[in-house]
Amino acid sequence: MTGKDLKVGIGDMKFARGDGQIITYALGSCIGITMYDPAIRLGGLLHIMLPSRTDPKDPKVFKYADSGIQEMIRKLSAFGMLKSRTIVKIAGGAKMFEIQGNSSFGNIGERNAAMVKKLLMEERMRITASDTGGSYARTMLINIANGDVIVRTAGKPEKHL
Amino acid sequence: MRLKSYEEMNLQELDVMKEISSIGTSHAATSLSKLLQKEIRIAIPEVSVLGYEEAVDKIGEMEELVAATLVQMSNEINGLILFIFKLDMANVVLEKLIGKGYTSFEQMDAMDYSALEEVGNIIICSYVNAFTQLVGVDIDLSVPSSTVNMLGGILTVPIAEYGYETDKLMYINAEFIMDGVRLSDGLLMLPDIESLNRILEKLGVSS
Repeated sequence: MTGKDLKVGIGDMKFARGDGQIITYALGSCIGITMYDPAIRLGGLLHIMLPSRTDPKDPKVFKYADSGIQEMIRKLSAFGMLKSRTIVKIAGGAKMFEIQGNSSFGNIGERNAAMVKKLLMEERMRITASDTGGSYARTMLINIANGDVIVRTAGKPEKHL
Repeated sequence: MRLKSYEEMNLQELDVMKEISSIGTSHAATSLSKLLQKEIRIAIPEVSVLGYEEAVDKIGEMEELVAATLVQMSNEINGLILFIFKLDMANVVLEKLIGKGYTSFEQMDAMDYSALEEVGNIIICSYVNAFTQLVGVDIDLSVPSSTVNMLGGILTVPIAEYGYETDKLMYINAEFIMDGVRLSDGLLMLPDIESLNRILEKLGVSS
């Protein structure tokens, strides 16, 4: 049975149970985070853009790593996810442009990756696979039926994380 | 009233940006025309303030490969300028300059990329020159940086850079027409909000 395909935009999160797939396109400096609980075949994909939410009134929780991961865990837990069983994979955090004489420009990808790793460690969730850094965009998708995560980049074969 | 984000610009302010863009684009077209030894016409540019996904849709598709040149502005105006070549535009340039044509970006080599970067830089510089003269501000430009990659990934750069200020981009549709064919490209000029206010003040339209 083919389930529904869900598309996650920038600064958003979607999740599904049973089957179907969730995809997010062209992660540049952003990071895609998948969480999958194989026991109940519940999986989600979060697409964050920046490390931390500085304005607590900002309603866009999924735009930031800190509020996004927190809210994703809260939502998935409400549907039965157990952190101890959950498989977490991340991709993205690239540096698309290198500006000479300004090495801090475009570091946001690296900062995002560091933040995501730190937050997940604090949540005691282990990252089983990651594909971050580099200078190219990535499309990330998760198959909800089996938790398989695929990363697509331009000019390279698909990679299973 | 000072603007806090791009989307607060009113029609008059957008019109002014359109006017400057039109002059900037014609300067850029002149440079391109000299370089390629071809007559180049321009369409009146559209200036729009778009969200990330709208901007991607306007230029192409998320996973579409494009070449992009990025230059950082500093001094009186801070921000980014991004010039995007789609394949047809890249081909026109490379055919004229190097005598080669391609069916995809993946076939190009370092020499081709470097030629595109140079042309992107020339277009950006002539655009900014016109802009500085017209507005009366000094702008320093960084060394250009280029990449060939997914359009969606490239546009996350300005979106993330100003992510704490705004979720919008100011997109200037600089259309070049050569031999009756519209070339697809995109110029994104992204002053930070403070600089945008300075531009509008200098031009006397700040509301």
